[in-house]
Amino acid sequence: MKRGLLGLLIAALVLLPPLGKPYVLHVVIVILINVVYAQALYVIMRMGYLSFGHAGYIALGGYTSALLVTKLAITPWIGFLAGGVVAGIFAWALGAVTLKLRGIYFSLSVFAFAEVVNAAFRAFEVFGGPAGIAGVPRPALLGTRLNTHLQFYYVVLAVALVSLFFLYRLQWTRFGFTLLALRTRETERLAESLGINAARYKTLAFVVSCFFCGLMGAVHVHYLRFVSPFVFTFFLSNDLMIYVMVGGLGSYWGPMLGTVLLTGLGEQLFAAGYYKSLVYAVVLLVVILALPGGLISLPRILRRGGARERVLPVAADVTAARER
Amino acid sequence: MLEIRSITKRFGGLTALQDVAFTVGRGELVALVGPNGAGKSTLFNIIAGAFPPTRGQIVFNGRDVTGLSSHDLARLGVARTFQQTTLFGEQTALENVLHGLHRHVPARVVAGLLATPAYGKEQREVARRALGVLELLGIAAYRDTVAADLPLGIQKLLTVAVALATEPVLLLLDEPAAGLSRDEATRMMNLVASEIRQRCTVVLVEHNMRIVAGWCDRALVLHFGQKIYDGAPEGLTRDQGVVDAYLGVAELA
Repeated sequence: MKRGLLGLLIAALVLLPPLGKPYVLHVVIVILINVVYAQALYVIMRMGYLSFGHAGYIALGGYTSALLVTKLAITPWIGFLAGGVVAGIFAWALGAVTLKLRGIYFSLSVFAFAEVVNAAFRAFEVFGGPAGIAGVPRPALLGTRLNTHLQFYYVVLAVALVSLFFLYRLQWTRFGFTLLALRTRETERLAESLGINAARYKTLAFVVSCFFCGLMGAVHVHYLRFVSPFVFTFFLSNDLMIYVMVGGLGSYWGPMLGTVLLTGLGEQLFAAGYYKSLVYAVVLLVVILALPGGLISLPRILRRGGARERVLPVAADVTAARER
Repeated sequence: MLEIRSITKRFGGLTALQDVAFTVGRGELVALVGPNGAGKSTLFNIIAGAFPPTRGQIVFNGRDVTGLSSHDLARLGVARTFQQTTLFGEQTALENVLHGLHRHVPARVVAGLLATPAYGKEQREVARRALGVLELLGIAAYRDTVAADLPLGIQKLLTVAVALATEPVLLLLDEPAAGLSRDEATRMMNLVASEIRQRCTVVLVEHNMRIVAGWCDRALVLHFGQKIYDGAPEGLTRDQGVVDAYLGVAELA
């Protein structure tokens, strides 16, 4: 049933777009990009870490690819990957130092890093300064440059599906299961006493999270065909966290739901400017107060008449594997 | 097997442990006794690698392990429970034990991402092993209950199960019976003295003399960071130093 629905959704995403108007395609592209950002952020949020600076890693990916492609004429396909790798390397370097911190201290350190990255992009000529880098070309496939919305839509779809599959599977692996052991300082101490090298696991999780942000960030920049310090700002980091919290942390599908709903809504509100933030804020407040498990917990709560909800996803493979 | 060589630990101006030395032989069940603040938990934390001693040396299985991190020590076979019942509260009993098996199961991230049949088989195997540990402690019925929802007596047993799942050589139990009813404490100690000590050497912190005398081979008494007694539990009440320092004001049931 679930598999059937998912198959249907993917088939629709592959087959329907030629019928869509460019504007609708644009909205779907933005949603797909944001869904990957949110799911990547979810990797560390599931581990008990909040990041106020994931836009910094998205920007690193975007700038890396933009620079490689415009200055060194490297193919964008490699640029995408390089974007992910560079974001991952920076995540590794920062994570090795800052993941010792917990709670707001970690969140602020990531925020500060993102601001430093942003300031560097603004300050130095090689990054194009405040004007950024324009004329970032779309990639070519079999001699055709993928310049239309529809052509590039398939690039985004392919990268998104591969990323989402990876991120989905990751949480059901023993690696993803071990990350759940590191959610608080106390459980981390317990995990360490069981032979779990917490620092290594946390750093790897952060690298994975930032790799996919950097990868999608690169794709994003090639979609926009330009990048500037004003594209990936604190407001993006902020929106991503709102998507995840509104959707709910209890399931992989929560962040996705939150992103699809709020990005869709945000695109509708775009013309209204600042109202977007206002609407997000109100939605977030209502969800936090009324539905701490996020929108994804709604059906379960309705079914069980408000029974206590597990905050964490069950390690399905593992518990399903128990003897019956 | 475990050799503590003249350990001193200072926190700022406070000396928590002063030249404490003793050895624990393979298969022993040793109780660490002492009033609050005597340095028992500090000693546990040092042996388990939570922090290094200021001075002194810890030798485990012939190897100097002073200053190793707690996950390194866990890999060498030192497991511990915490004084404050610490579990993965949001996860089920079975999942808690699965974390305990961590060091015995390779991560195999790629196989896991691809969900290969071999990986699934291995997962089922690991789950069976975890269930076996729960059965050993008689709490398999709670395998799907979220740890935070379990009664304290079961939680305490679960903390031991999680530590035992690492298949330790040396198991450090920090007040395993604290907060338990008399019956629950008896059940816990019977398990420690039979199933568990067959598998590993046990050092436990305990206040209760009924438990020390009833189940342990040997007692070590700490007082203000110094060892004042090391010998059979029966001798405790006859030792003038111990009586003066401690037993005069404590439970002597």
